Amino acid sequence: MEALTKKLVEAFGPCGFEDEVRDLIREEVAPYADEIEVDQMGNLYALKRGDGSGLKVAIAAHMDEIGLIATHITEEGFVRFTNLGFIIPHTLMGARVRFADGTLGVVSRDKARFVADMDKMPGVDQHFIDVGASSRDNCPVKIGTPGVIWQTMEVQGSRWIARCHDDRIGCVIGVEALKRLAETPHDVYFVFTVQEEVGTRGAATAANRIEPDVAIAVDVTPASDVIEGFPMQMKLGDGPGIKIKDMGMIAHQGLARLMQRRAEEAGIPYQPEVLLVGSTDARAMQIAGPGSAAGAISIPNRYTHTTSEVVDAADVENSVRLLVEILSKPIAL
Amino acid sequence: METLQLLRTLSEARGPSGLERAATDVIADLWQPFVDSIAVDRLGSLVATKNGSGTAPRPRLMLSAHCDEIALMVTDVVEANGFGFLRVTAVGGVDIRHLYSQRVVVHGREDIPGVLASLPTRLLPEDRRSGAYGFEDLMVDVGLSAESTRNLIRIGDFVTFDQHLVELVNGRVAGKALDNRASVAAVTICLEQLHGRAHVWDVLAVASSQEETRLLGAATSAYRLQPDAAVALDVSYATSYNAKDSINVELGSGPMIDQCINIHPGINKALIDAAKALEIKFTHVGYGGNSGTDAQYIQIARAGIPTGLLSIPQRYMHTMVETVDIKDVERTGRLLAEFVVRLSADFIDTISAEMLEA
Repeated sequence: MEALTKKLVEAFGPCGFEDEVRDLIREEVAPYADEIEVDQMGNLYALKRGDGSGLKVAIAAHMDEIGLIATHITEEGFVRFTNLGFIIPHTLMGARVRFADGTLGVVSRDKARFVADMDKMPGVDQHFIDVGASSRDNCPVKIGTPGVIWQTMEVQGSRWIARCHDDRIGCVIGVEALKRLAETPHDVYFVFTVQEEVGTRGAATAANRIEPDVAIAVDVTPASDVIEGFPMQMKLGDGPGIKIKDMGMIAHQGLARLMQRRAEEAGIPYQPEVLLVGSTDARAMQIAGPGSAAGAISIPNRYTHTTSEVVDAADVENSVRLLVEILSKPIAL
Repeated sequence: METLQLLRTLSEARGPSGLERAATDVIADLWQPFVDSIAVDRLGSLVATKNGSGTAPRPRLMLSAHCDEIALMVTDVVEANGFGFLRVTAVGGVDIRHLYSQRVVVHGREDIPGVLASLPTRLLPEDRRSGAYGFEDLMVDVGLSAESTRNLIRIGDFVTFDQHLVELVNGRVAGKALDNRASVAAVTICLEQLHGRAHVWDVLAVASSQEETRLLGAATSAYRLQPDAAVALDVSYATSYNAKDSINVELGSGPMIDQCINIHPGINKALIDAAKALEIKFTHVGYGGNSGTDAQYIQIARAGIPTGLLSIPQRYMHTMVETVDIKDVERTGRLLAEFVVRLSADFIDTISAEMLEA
């Protein structure tokens, strides 16, 4: 899975521009899915058919990552931009940007020379990107060109460091679970969604299309085991989180219990998750159409929405195992 | 059942947003004698059907009163001197100012009583002696050893408030969860009244789930049931001491019939006509923006559903002493029943035509 993770986290896919990621995932899932489809929004569906005795289940991982988009090119050839999804402005200064056409740029901010201003944090709109152009005309980046903060993946021991585990690691887990899922009673739709970071838009469309009975998002959650971390219990390496509540939803309690029971039966470590910030695709799938019993598998992730997110390889493996356990057995709600 | 007893039963039922089952069980018992079928759906909403007398396929009216209540959830079990204490967070719009010194019930592997407490003021550092305790200062103490606490209670368990209904003088009651069990009581009264009266339309009474968090039950039930029209019921602000001038509805002045962007004027008019026919007290209230009630999502389900909204005046919303007037609850139930009885088979065509003319 390490190789697949490297491939996916080094692919380009900010919100609304997920094509490259989708092509890579499609290649991976094609041999294992009974049907493959892409909808008008760009969501990728890989259906694994059940034996007819189970439910309709949607497993969602979002392909998009937080990114940026050019809003204005100055006469001197600098690129002004806005965020696609929630960029933490602190991560911008000195970062490298890769635009859709491969152009590289570096980020600085207005009045960066004033050391006295260093304790102030300007917004995204007070930053600019230098791509080496000398004028608006010779700047290869145009208004509307999307970009991402660029970083390669590094591995150190069991820790995987990358710029967008959120949520390519969820995609990796979805792909791997599909590969390992020999038999299932359920019709399982592995959905690789678009535009999660701008408001779970792809998942809403996908759930309206599928109308699943059960909907499970696979996404990262902030690990709290750092200096003055989030006031919650979520440790890196202690197993996947099983969602009970976050800011956007309360998980289906029967489903959350069933997920915990499956983990216990199979001896998979897990952590019950009550998250005080953020939400996932499950939020949108829960309320779409006739509604679904929704939950989530959450991969503990340090430094979420920065250029160096950190997950533990054991959590990734255990998330796949948990997902396969859940999907290969009956789901009684 | 006497309305006072009905309100007591409903207020004291435990149905936090996301785990409404104990409340819907109580409501199902209340509705069962008056309806043709009843079931809880996948998302926790209770749906009861009372068939109309018209020829099938009959038009269908959805009544939606949310049955969930604001509550708390365990986020951590911490140990101090060998005892277990629970950290909690809010489920729905909890006002932290009423948390300190509440009695609660923790819904762990069994129901366990607890108290929501902090250090007495004099034991706190001086700079923390004023102001409300937030979740970082408060712990639920269940009196158990750390080990027993961990065995019985897990992160994610719900915690509900332990408050009995209080009967005030002058026909008023105060208690928890009267937002929105007062409306559930009104729907119960409506169903009871309809039991002996002929009505053309099918009535789909929904005790909807998770309104306090995201209007989930109403949105999904409306999609699933696809009714021809709907009326949502909720509580709304009544005036009290020191209330803003903009709030001028008194307790005891009858239901509010709301007009806002969620409301179809035809339904609104029919509700007013029903109130006038009964010579019942009511207040016609109008405002801009969304109602923040079930009506908001029912209106936009499927291809759109003509929706009305009745609000029961209530003081002290989202506290443990939510106060309503028993007569207002009864008036709301009677008004609703009258509205249902007056619905003709071609009602929707009528209000659509009126809309076009206007």
